[in-house]
Amino acid sequence: MLLNLQPTSSVSIQYHPFFGPHDDLVLLELDEKLLSDVLYQRVTLRGQPDEDAVLCTKSKTYLVKFVGTSNSVFLIPPADYSTSHESGGENYNQQVPTASVIKVAPGNMELVEVAPRLDKLKSILSENLYSSDEASTAMGDLYKWDDLINKVQASDDELKAGLQALSAVEIDGYWRIVDEKYMDVILRMLLHNSVLNDWSLDSLVEDKVVSVLESDGFPRKLVYHCLNVYGSRVEEAMDGGVWRLDARRVCVHFARGILREGKRKMESFMEEWLRMIPEEIQPSFDLLEGEVLTEKLGVETWVRALSVSSLPTTPADRFSILFKERAKWEWKDLEPYIRDLNVPGLSSEALLLKYTRRSQPSIDAEPVFSAR
Amino acid sequence: MQIQVKCSCGAEKCPEWAIIELQGVVEVQPSFQHSLQNLQIGLLCRPSSQENYTFTVGYHELTGYKVALKKPMVVLKKIKYMDVERQIDEATSSSSCVELDVVGFIRHKILFKTRPTTLISGPQPTVKEKINAEGA
Repeated sequence: MLLNLQPTSSVSIQYHPFFGPHDDLVLLELDEKLLSDVLYQRVTLRGQPDEDAVLCTKSKTYLVKFVGTSNSVFLIPPADYSTSHESGGENYNQQVPTASVIKVAPGNMELVEVAPRLDKLKSILSENLYSSDEASTAMGDLYKWDDLINKVQASDDELKAGLQALSAVEIDGYWRIVDEKYMDVILRMLLHNSVLNDWSLDSLVEDKVVSVLESDGFPRKLVYHCLNVYGSRVEEAMDGGVWRLDARRVCVHFARGILREGKRKMESFMEEWLRMIPEEIQPSFDLLEGEVLTEKLGVETWVRALSVSSLPTTPADRFSILFKERAKWEWKDLEPYIRDLNVPGLSSEALLLKYTRRSQPSIDAEPVFSAR
Repeated sequence: MQIQVKCSCGAEKCPEWAIIELQGVVEVQPSFQHSLQNLQIGLLCRPSSQENYTFTVGYHELTGYKVALKKPMVVLKKIKYMDVERQIDEATSSSSCVELDVVGFIRHKILFKTRPTTLISGPQPTVKEKINAEGA
């Protein structure tokens, strides 16, 4: 056995009877911790023919790259490896045992952990937003979970997290993003009913909310979705099904609605925003970090929408857009817009170093970041 | 699309393959180019109980050692097969599926990276080792 060649013995290395290029045989180098995932069939390759191949475990995504070598790497299979009755491999009948080379490998594949490619998920689900006049707009491509697996280069866990981050909802087996205007209608109806029925926004009873809104004509699925998007389940509730509306999410929703048509002067924005927010919720401008930008034009302060959720997930593209929106950023304004960037192996300091130029106008001034 | 990575031999029975790695290129004498099957490349010897090895290729003797790979490798075989059902449905002849099958794993290699020594006398080699220009 070549691998256990005994001291003072020899083995003749030969070309295998089926020696050849064998382009269908490739070597893949992987971390020890991935070996059992591969052997136990828990990994898949995902992607379209025109994309780079990625390998996915249940929770992570890896880019597959080829690394060539100028060395001669003789690949020797075990004794019984053969593609027909003619056997090669090792042979103990002769005086000197032999080991056969099936191929000279030009290199091997290796894996680089990457962030899942979720930008595509957002764009394909945005093709057909679920809106109130669903019946007339349900044409074009809709995607079930299996369709998403085939199109999006991400592991199962990362895909699930991506759907959650997009507030996508599964309706009739298809994953959909609901049109913001429709969500607005449902949310306002919920708030309107809360006032009418004297519901506390901190303890909304699921059954009551669903039955009232269903009788108002909203699909059950969407009412649950609304609770999920704008609230959280209260864990401590004994008889389950109690929800608390989340101040930030509600406030952001109304801010987005006001700024959808364009920027507004601060006073005008604040006045309308405060008017729309339900009494029980305490608004504060900080809740809008990562959602709006303020800028001084002359003596006026203006507010405009810029939602981190609308920005690309890859760092290079993200910074490029941020610096187009504003040439110079202070850390306190920039941080909410890069907080969610995920690059395996790169800390946020490293990201800043790589993509920005840091300058400080004077010793006691705040440092400022601009494009490289 | 999704390509399944299988291990049809089963994880526990997955065999270990071996690698011999040289810094250089092995050349076959022109008259033997087309009949490589079973042609001897060289003789691998382990002179002592240490993991040192010699590999004699033609006139050259290489010395090397067995080393554990810093990361294990698996040997994958690409299997292309025609999806008969799909062929019937789509009435196209180019509906093929690809699968990857893990046929082995590798944890060690026997590495030769020093300049070979030339043997003074020996048989006329049908195979000889040529030092890579960038080599050792």
